[in-house]
Amino acid sequence: MNNTDSIQTDEEKTKIYTIKTQVGKEQNTADMINSRAAKSKIKIPSILVTPELRGYLFIEAYDKERIKEMIKTISYARNILEGDIPLEQIKHFLVPASAVAKISEGDVVEMVSGPFRGETAKVTHIDDTKEEITVELFESVVPIPITVRGEQVRVIKRKEDEKKKEEKKE
Amino acid sequence: MKIIRACKTCHYLTEKESCPFCSSPTSKRWRGYVVIRNPESSQVAEHMNIKKPGKYALKVM
Repeated sequence: MNNTDSIQTDEEKTKIYTIKTQVGKEQNTADMINSRAAKSKIKIPSILVTPELRGYLFIEAYDKERIKEMIKTISYARNILEGDIPLEQIKHFLVPASAVAKISEGDVVEMVSGPFRGETAKVTHIDDTKEEITVELFESVVPIPITVRGEQVRVIKRKEDEKKKEEKKE
Repeated sequence: MKIIRACKTCHYLTEKESCPFCSSPTSKRWRGYVVIRNPESSQVAEHMNIKKPGKYALKVM
């Protein structure tokens, strides 16, 4: 009886491991792990790819050694990190922060993708629900407002930092 | 190339304009990727309140 109980308890508890992947190939790696798991019948209840953590994914499993063996055949997967992590440590990844959370009006941003890649612009408006920002390019002769997605820009100068600098000068 | 869309209600990933599970509209804009293979034994599925196996988005815009 006791023996059965202990087996059931072991079965119930999954562990979360971190797998290092090629940057940008996290989703592909997750799909490949998913198909390999289906073929080999390794118990993997879930695979998690978070937008904040590039080059890593989380895998919920029971047997680390079997996962280690399996990812050797997946080209995008690099290795499995030592030790497991409790769910509490990755809970914040399950509710990703808004892409515009760290951007405020007046900030200077650099476009990191899209047709204006490499251009700098000033943020004029932020739409929290759509996670979009409206910017005005510095190099355009006529200031035309352009609306882009929050993940398409990188903040290079914050309005708050500039204010502090000006206050110091005074 | 097929565009994967995410249900605005349950976050289930599908190619269809409406979710096959809850019939809610789907969106082309989503972030994060979760594969739930066994919702009964998954801590992640329990935390995200997912009852059906499949692929899900973490956030849908």
